[in-house]
Amino acid sequence: MNEQETVQKLTAKFPFLTETTRVARIRRIFCGVPKESFREVLDFVVQELGFSILCTITGVDDGDTIGAIYHLAVQSGGMFNLKVNVPKDNPVFKSVTDIFPSAEMYEREIIDLLGAKVEGLKAGRRYPLHETWPAGEYPLRKDWTYTKGKV
Amino acid sequence: MLKLAEKVVTWARTKSPWIIHFNTGACNACDIEIVAALTPRYDVERFGVIIKGTPRHADVLVCSGPLTKQQNDRLVRIYEQMPSPKFVVAVGTCACSGGVFHDCYGVLGGINAAIPVSAYIPGCPASPEAIIDGVVKLLASLDPK
Repeated sequence: MNEQETVQKLTAKFPFLTETTRVARIRRIFCGVPKESFREVLDFVVQELGFSILCTITGVDDGDTIGAIYHLAVQSGGMFNLKVNVPKDNPVFKSVTDIFPSAEMYEREIIDLLGAKVEGLKAGRRYPLHETWPAGEYPLRKDWTYTKGKV
Repeated sequence: MLKLAEKVVTWARTKSPWIIHFNTGACNACDIEIVAALTPRYDVERFGVIIKGTPRHADVLVCSGPLTKQQNDRLVRIYEQMPSPKFVVAVGTCACSGGVFHDCYGVLGGINAAIPVSAYIPGCPASPEAIIDGVVKLLASLDPK
């Protein structure tokens, strides 16, 4: 995979991504995307650039924003990591289950463990926390502490 | 007459306990060691132990993994499906006390928080020799003489 060529195709279409895209090492591209243009960029990367495998979605607690990194890959092994950040007081992501049905599991994890909301996901049970877990407790946030007997 | 029947039944139970294996969410290392104990190299089958697929056929519940909040109801349900008299063996440190996870959110401790345990086999993972030792000790304690 020619990383520089891929980055050039991407920044030709979306010039505002030039500062936030970098080639970390061979076969790894990282890109930060503002949330307004997230879906457009994702569609371009999946369809035009060919990164059509979703490996996983990583949730990040960045202080005052919550981030989600979408790890997309191509059959020959190169990975494109797309990061999008949303403000913590209103953390809403758009679901990608219409093109990646398996993303449902990862989106449910960031809903339960980081307290994000995902628009477009159909109603379902808690995953991975148990059914009687109280609302409002998000274990993987950096400021969440646990004492025995709290939940 | 009834005493004789009881003696035969106790003999059958101590000479040939059937087990059901359950994993409450462990990393699987203890499960691999339990299965290894059942295979010909360590061979716990020479004690008459057979692994069954359902708790309704089993005398002994061999359980690995810490007790999580999600597994609480399910483990109790499996225990209640076993016919009396039944025994529980906790394999591995996680099943004995929660192991490295005992202070985590969502973990209630070892499986003795939900069901009564007859034998504890510590280790991470418990080696097959330790499992055989624990099973033999359990059988010896069941034997009335």
